[in-house]
Amino acid sequence: MDKVTTIEEAAALVPDGATVAIGGLSMNSAPMAMVRELVRQAKRDLTVVGIVAGMPVDWLIAGGCVKTVVSGLVSFEGLGLAPNFRAMVQAGTVGIEEYSEHLLICRLQAQAYNLPFMPTKAGLGTDVLALHPDTLRQEVDPTTGEHYVACTRLPVDVALVHAHAADARGNVRVEPKLLWMDSEIVNAAAVTIATVERVVPGREFTDAPERTTYPRFMIHAVVEAPYGAFPTSLFPNYGHRSAFFDDYSTAARDPQTFKAFFAERVTGPPTWRDFLDANGGAGALLDIARRTA
Amino acid sequence: MTAPVPGYDCTVDELMVVTFSRAMSNDTLAFNGAVSFIPVCGYLLARRTHAPELVWAASSIAIDADPATIPESTLSDGLWGGASMLSNSPFDFWTYAQGARYNTFAFRGAQMDAFGNVNNTVIGPYDAPKVRLPGGGGMADLGAMIPRIFLWSSTHNARTFVERLDFRSGMGWGDGGDHRRRLGMPGGPQLCITNLCVFDFEPVTKRMRLASLHPGVSVEDVRANTGFEIVMPAGEIPVTAAPTADELRILRTEVDPTNARHREF
Repeated sequence: MDKVTTIEEAAALVPDGATVAIGGLSMNSAPMAMVRELVRQAKRDLTVVGIVAGMPVDWLIAGGCVKTVVSGLVSFEGLGLAPNFRAMVQAGTVGIEEYSEHLLICRLQAQAYNLPFMPTKAGLGTDVLALHPDTLRQEVDPTTGEHYVACTRLPVDVALVHAHAADARGNVRVEPKLLWMDSEIVNAAAVTIATVERVVPGREFTDAPERTTYPRFMIHAVVEAPYGAFPTSLFPNYGHRSAFFDDYSTAARDPQTFKAFFAERVTGPPTWRDFLDANGGAGALLDIARRTA
Repeated sequence: MTAPVPGYDCTVDELMVVTFSRAMSNDTLAFNGAVSFIPVCGYLLARRTHAPELVWAASSIAIDADPATIPESTLSDGLWGGASMLSNSPFDFWTYAQGARYNTFAFRGAQMDAFGNVNNTVIGPYDAPKVRLPGGGGMADLGAMIPRIFLWSSTHNARTFVERLDFRSGMGWGDGGDHRRRLGMPGGPQLCITNLCVFDFEPVTKRMRLASLHPGVSVEDVRANTGFEIVMPAGEIPVTAAPTADELRILRTEVDPTNARHREF
């Protein structure tokens, strides 16, 4: 079965109202090409799970796609706050379910392992637990007397991840095997869409099966999207694009300016290639490909 | 501001890094989260001076990293140069963290209270916030798991150091006293290093106690910029010790030659 498809067709696997988990962490490895396509297709009422996220969540909010954000952290790190996340959550237009990194990992693992809950010491003593009486329970182990938090399942409809390579059958390679929390969202999701830098012949996988990260039965669609994490990084191929974060944050100071910026630089370019051209083209790509340059 | 420290040949960010660094030791196993320039500089400086065996996982990923410069994000792969291992989050990092192999973590919040609890979630009510902050990230997790917690702040004022947090994103000493022990948590906050002073924690109540004043700062200055009552130590309050010329040279020329740490000021 050939799972390679276009980004437009892959995005059609995400229905309005779905729970969508976004891979990567902060400035790294986010599936930006696929996120852009969800915005272009005007998805609505998504519940977006981004464990430690930034730009992808902000794009989806700017595109009006989001009902609720489920997250531990949404920011642009040393480059500032995520402006649409901040504004829309403050205004109450977008809902927020704040967890923490490990509480979300544990909820995803409970789902992945098909267990009623996963225990952790995370969150004890904080106000996070009281936000989620239905999904987090503080309990005491009857044998040892230890306090723990029982994290209930978090079902994910669609996981979006960006990786280095895939074959047509859907085997995926993240190389080096630096996974952030991507494996946890893939394992918790009913459907996973992988964008990859390159689609390669199946031989490359069968010749080195120890380098495969996700087997083909976990992956439902493959889309080739070179530089598909731009403006976040993909280690070791390229770094994040600071200039994009700066331009974005500057534009966001004024709603009209931002609207024009978002149309011109993010949603407007018809193809991913056009998007890269609109954001610096070859010069930008050479800048971020510093490790191979 | 990275203001000069009166009488010392350094600025306040440098004094904070050096003070942080000296609190580290050869048995420190540390890692860092978001926007953590002062701790990152501190780990690198300690490893180059008195604690060569110190372990630091850059961005909680890159173990033993030794970057040539510090990038604009402490969660960026630009911080990972020279690493001996790139670890994975769920099965490497969280095992070492909850398993108490890692023993040292530093966090800061938009608000911090007398017990070293932190808020990075909201200013105002959670459901109708005046300001929506980025979120606690791993604070709620690591505050509960890691025995040696360090806090820092480059904005020591009464808006940051508050009597009551609007939201407890990360656990320090909790409600004080034996709260952590009752919940089965190891250790707790050790020091809070600010642009005005250094706090430690009074052993019984676990409230912040003035440990030293930076040169030119008075007790009244600290009181006026702190929203809770500070425990005062018995006897004279020392002045925060001066960095050595070697520490400053290494910080300026080897650890952070591009002054990434100024992003926190």
